Amino acid sequence: MAEAVAVTAGKAQPQAPVLRGRHDFPEISGRISAIVLQGKLPRFFWAAFFVCFAFVLLFLYSITYLISVGVGAYGVNIPVVWGTMISSFVWWIGIGHAGTLISAVLLLLRQPWRASINRFAEAMTLFAVAMAGLYPILHLGRPWFFYWLLPLPNTHMHWPQWRSPLVWDFAAISTYASVSLLFWYMGLLPDLGVLRDRARSRAGQLFYGILALGWRGSAYHWARYRTVYFLMAALATPLVVSVHSIVALDFTYAITPGYHSTIFPPYFVAGALLSGFAMVLTIAIPLRWAFAVEDLITLRHMENAAKLMIAAGMIVIYGYASEAFFAWYSGQPYERAMMAQRAVGPYAPLFWIMLFCNCIVLQLLWLRRVRLNMPVLFSIALVINIGMWLERYVIVVTGPSRDYLPSSWGEQSLTWLDFGILFGSIGTFFALVFLFIRILPAITIFEVEELVDEKSGAA
Amino acid sequence: MSLHGVIAAFADPDALTQAARTMRDKGYRRMDAFSPFEVRGLAEILGMSRTRLPWAVLAGGIAGGLLVYALILYSVEIDYPVNVGGRPLHSWPPFMVIAFEAAILGAALAGFVGMLRANGLPQYYHPVFNAKTFTYAQGGKFYLLVEAADSKYRKGITRRQLTRLGAETVEDVEA
Repeated sequence: MAEAVAVTAGKAQPQAPVLRGRHDFPEISGRISAIVLQGKLPRFFWAAFFVCFAFVLLFLYSITYLISVGVGAYGVNIPVVWGTMISSFVWWIGIGHAGTLISAVLLLLRQPWRASINRFAEAMTLFAVAMAGLYPILHLGRPWFFYWLLPLPNTHMHWPQWRSPLVWDFAAISTYASVSLLFWYMGLLPDLGVLRDRARSRAGQLFYGILALGWRGSAYHWARYRTVYFLMAALATPLVVSVHSIVALDFTYAITPGYHSTIFPPYFVAGALLSGFAMVLTIAIPLRWAFAVEDLITLRHMENAAKLMIAAGMIVIYGYASEAFFAWYSGQPYERAMMAQRAVGPYAPLFWIMLFCNCIVLQLLWLRRVRLNMPVLFSIALVINIGMWLERYVIVVTGPSRDYLPSSWGEQSLTWLDFGILFGSIGTFFALVFLFIRILPAITIFEVEELVDEKSGAA
Repeated sequence: MSLHGVIAAFADPDALTQAARTMRDKGYRRMDAFSPFEVRGLAEILGMSRTRLPWAVLAGGIAGGLLVYALILYSVEIDYPVNVGGRPLHSWPPFMVIAFEAAILGAALAGFVGMLRANGLPQYYHPVFNAKTFTYAQGGKFYLLVEAADSKYRKGITRRQLTRLGAETVEDVEA
């Protein structure tokens, strides 16, 4: 990697280290656990939390309104029956995927830079999946019957339709949420032991003590723990790919123009990684600054995340290109018309903004100077977040709005409820992230200590 | 007040590994070591055999996948067969998708539960927490515990051996 930089830049630029400065073990565990135990939170922490909490209330209000009035309350109608609920669902699931990638795939590849960011990336996955899971249920029309997707004995004597991607989706999302929770909790166990032993208050000792399950760092325990942790990572990796592929199959199974395309599964997975890494940066850049852990979450982490963003982003761009190519090459007038309508039809402004965000702004990340400039990187991450939401929205609505019968072409309108639920879920997501930072160690203590040990051994 | 054993604290992982190896060579068998993160190879030195947990994970995966596939097969072939234009009832490709997800879930659950069971967790009481010098949380120390039940254990001799191996502190642990 260093050589490649040297060739392009003309002079050798050493990579930023994974950990900056000198550390010892008590300092690491003390500093990270102090964030939780002493409540040494920056002054604006609770202010920011309460802003998020206001959005939680908006979310609850919007959901209540939606359930009491019905799905007609937000902008879906015939012919566009898939609206923001589905695009936000895909967006949130995608965000979750970067967390699993960091925690599982980078573990398998033995990338040392994963250690200090995997914990909050996994938490991000969990919360994003929780938000994602709500959308299809709210979209059902009668959300209280969502359990019909489960093979439960019931008075109707019916079974789920096993051949439907919507049922696969339900299985995939619930499996993904469960496995992510297990993986996250397992990673937390040793650190919960640290918090238990460091907690001063009785309540803290009880809370962390019960959760830590009596972890004491025995060599036998560590050996088994390591074996299973690696296996869980190996299981999570194909799971992630399968989850977003199945989400893509929700679309491709339909013959609607713009949905029916074999490029979707891989292209959705790449899009998931792009938006997920954008969200990792959106959280990590303020986090490392607010808690002064810039020596633990270093520029190396930020730069690597940016590099992965451009890698995933280029695949997404290839996906856009092949989507357009296939529409043309199919020779199908409706596919071609749908593609043309994307560029010039009623949703054209969103389409062009999406291309600007995901294709043009993304290219800035080729520059090392941009990758190492935190305010700029943060802004790019926000732009990509928006671009990726627009991408899903454009895919979801343009197909049904321009399908085979020109007489029934029509557009979707956006109502306040679309935005109420979208921004409400974003606020709820960040409120959960804030609570997580307050209650659990956001940086993996034992893995950073291991890094410190390796570093001192090498020196 | 019965005695659980004697615990020695070492400054770094290498000292602990060295001490564990020496004590093992001296014939001690009932030992345990504690560290804030995994010290590679330490469990093997202490005499731990290869863990069978990967087999449990595999079994969990197979069981999860087969169970769900059998459920689907039962529903489409026996309980509620629907003939749609003569298409086969047993259309396996779509069924594989859900069976795959169930296999992953089964494997992950088996791994997690198996890890807890093999480690005897949750276990909220353990004698090592009685030792004043033992702290898992501070993270700076690496411990070797020799159980009093070990056939080689002799109070004074074991203590002296541990001190000679470079232990910073040596303390008797009550059960």
